[in-house]
Amino acid sequence: MIELKNLTKSFTTKTSKGFKSEMTTVNAVNQVSLECRPGRIFSLLGPNGAGKTTTLRIIAGIINPSSGTAIVDGIDISNGNHEVKKRIGFLTGSTGLYERLNPDETIDFFGKLYRLPEHQLTEQKEYLFEKLGINEFRKKRVGQMSTGMKQKVSIARTLIHDPEVLIFDEPTSGLDVITADSIIDLIRESKENNKTVIFSSHIMSEVDLLCDDLAIISKGSIIYNDTFENFKKEMKADNLTQEFINRVKEA
Amino acid sequence: MRDLLIIIKKELSELLRDKKTIINSIVLPTLLGPVLLFGFIKVSKIIDQNAKEKTIQIGLVNAPQNFMDIVESDTLNQVTIYDESIDFKTLIDEETIQTAVVFPGDWKAQMDSLRTGAVQIYRNGTKDNVNERVSGIMDTYAANLKEARMSQLDISAEKLNPIRQDYVEVGEQKELIGKRIGGFIPYLFILTMWGGCLLAAIDLVTGEKERKTIETTLSLPVSKFTVLMGKSIVASLLGFIPAVLNLLGIIAGLKLIDGIPDTFKAAINEMLNFQSVALILLLLVPFALFLAGFIIALVAGATTFKEAQSKATPIIMVIIIPLVLAMMPGIELSWATVLVPVLNIGLGVKEIMAGTIDMLQYFTILASLIAFAVLAVYFSYKRFSDENAILK
Repeated sequence: MIELKNLTKSFTTKTSKGFKSEMTTVNAVNQVSLECRPGRIFSLLGPNGAGKTTTLRIIAGIINPSSGTAIVDGIDISNGNHEVKKRIGFLTGSTGLYERLNPDETIDFFGKLYRLPEHQLTEQKEYLFEKLGINEFRKKRVGQMSTGMKQKVSIARTLIHDPEVLIFDEPTSGLDVITADSIIDLIRESKENNKTVIFSSHIMSEVDLLCDDLAIISKGSIIYNDTFENFKKEMKADNLTQEFINRVKEA
Repeated sequence: MRDLLIIIKKELSELLRDKKTIINSIVLPTLLGPVLLFGFIKVSKIIDQNAKEKTIQIGLVNAPQNFMDIVESDTLNQVTIYDESIDFKTLIDEETIQTAVVFPGDWKAQMDSLRTGAVQIYRNGTKDNVNERVSGIMDTYAANLKEARMSQLDISAEKLNPIRQDYVEVGEQKELIGKRIGGFIPYLFILTMWGGCLLAAIDLVTGEKERKTIETTLSLPVSKFTVLMGKSIVASLLGFIPAVLNLLGIIAGLKLIDGIPDTFKAAINEMLNFQSVALILLLLVPFALFLAGFIIALVAGATTFKEAQSKATPIIMVIIIPLVLAMMPGIELSWATVLVPVLNIGLGVKEIMAGTIDMLQYFTILASLIAFAVLAVYFSYKRFSDENAILK
């Protein structure tokens, strides 16, 4: 379960003009409130720079909010985001893998930091390697792998500690259809396993395939938040993409 | 602690699998000392040999026979006799001759009447080899004349040399050499250390941003401080190891390379004994951490390797200037300099090698370096925690 209440994140930047410098504060996320429930897939939609990644980074404990609260799997992130991080699996389209390690070393590194007992780590690793077909290249360095291979390792890395909450930040961006399909399967499977899933995207076909609940974010604020079923009922445009564009423009 | 060790292991594995790191942090520092020493000795020998074997062209005017005999005794001297003094400047510029020695026409009369005669020597001040050899010839000729006059006047050498200076060296060879070259050794290994720390720190911080793994690292269930400490320790190790290898390379070079004078070799061996090396290495531990923290703080906001390098490279002056100062003969370790970072290491190493280090000053340097290391790590943590900088 993820519960965000009035979440705001401000960034202050310093710009210099000659000898003068100006401080500008921008709210990347402004008073965001939403709720993602276990066994359902929540889509966070928005154009580039809308605040999707910032919101997901706050939930994942990577950055701290300026104000508001985020409760993940019953824990307020302000009360210790290490505990929250242990309950989260975070996956991005860029895979974020260490290029000079091989899959075995990568998974061991994450598993140890998630404090998995030795036998559990080995068991879970072997299960995921078998399931995802990583065994053939488990000793190959990540830097020498194809994007598809990397994404498989990235999935194994995300699931090694069997997290209750899964966050996918534009997980299929830049991937070919076959690799993207494996991510879609993973998201579906996580739902079946009663996990809380939130994913950001601007690909409406993916949303149509997966989504149970939906929020549209624009310029840092939530402009729509309801079930996907209701969204489709309220649609005025002919297709999802056009409806999404219209709503962002109207906001 | 367990998490820190896991992070250190991972960062070290990653860095040591990078060819660039292996070359810069292991291969180059180990070979630098021996190659420099070997190169210096070889090049000096070659230059010396070439200079000795080089023919020099001397123009002579009114030269007396006994002078000609000295000049011609060296077959490498090519003599051109001129009847009178001409435009020797042009001849030297055109390289027809390299130097000219002009005696006055009444030279014999001046010598016979025991007067002081003036000899004009045309030369180009930049041609050291030519000028040294001509000076040698002139000195020999002057000594012969002096001897002849003393014999003619029946004056003993003792009468003309009332004082003989006998030096009794009380300073140890180790102290003499240590103070003279002791500043040069930290110059070498601190620069190596800087290079190692710089490369590692950029790879561990900016490199993570470039490879888009920083987000993954920050999503780990460990504190930013643990992540930062892991990176700082690995960066400082990658600075410390090259410095140690550099020092070992110098010691090995001194032991194995031929052509180094025995007295010098013995003094260096005595200087770089176990105790001295241990004292030097102990200073380098907090200094490496200081450098690592300092560089991480500098490059934390950079988004590319190039940007990080351009931010950190000018700072090398802050390292070089105190090291150059430490090499200067007049500057010594005092209570005023023990707290100046880099300079205190340069001067401290000089004193350690000379065997004259004041242990109270040594521990003050060590304490100040630890304090600077703590400060540097604190600032790097501040920068590393700055979301604007690290996730840019």
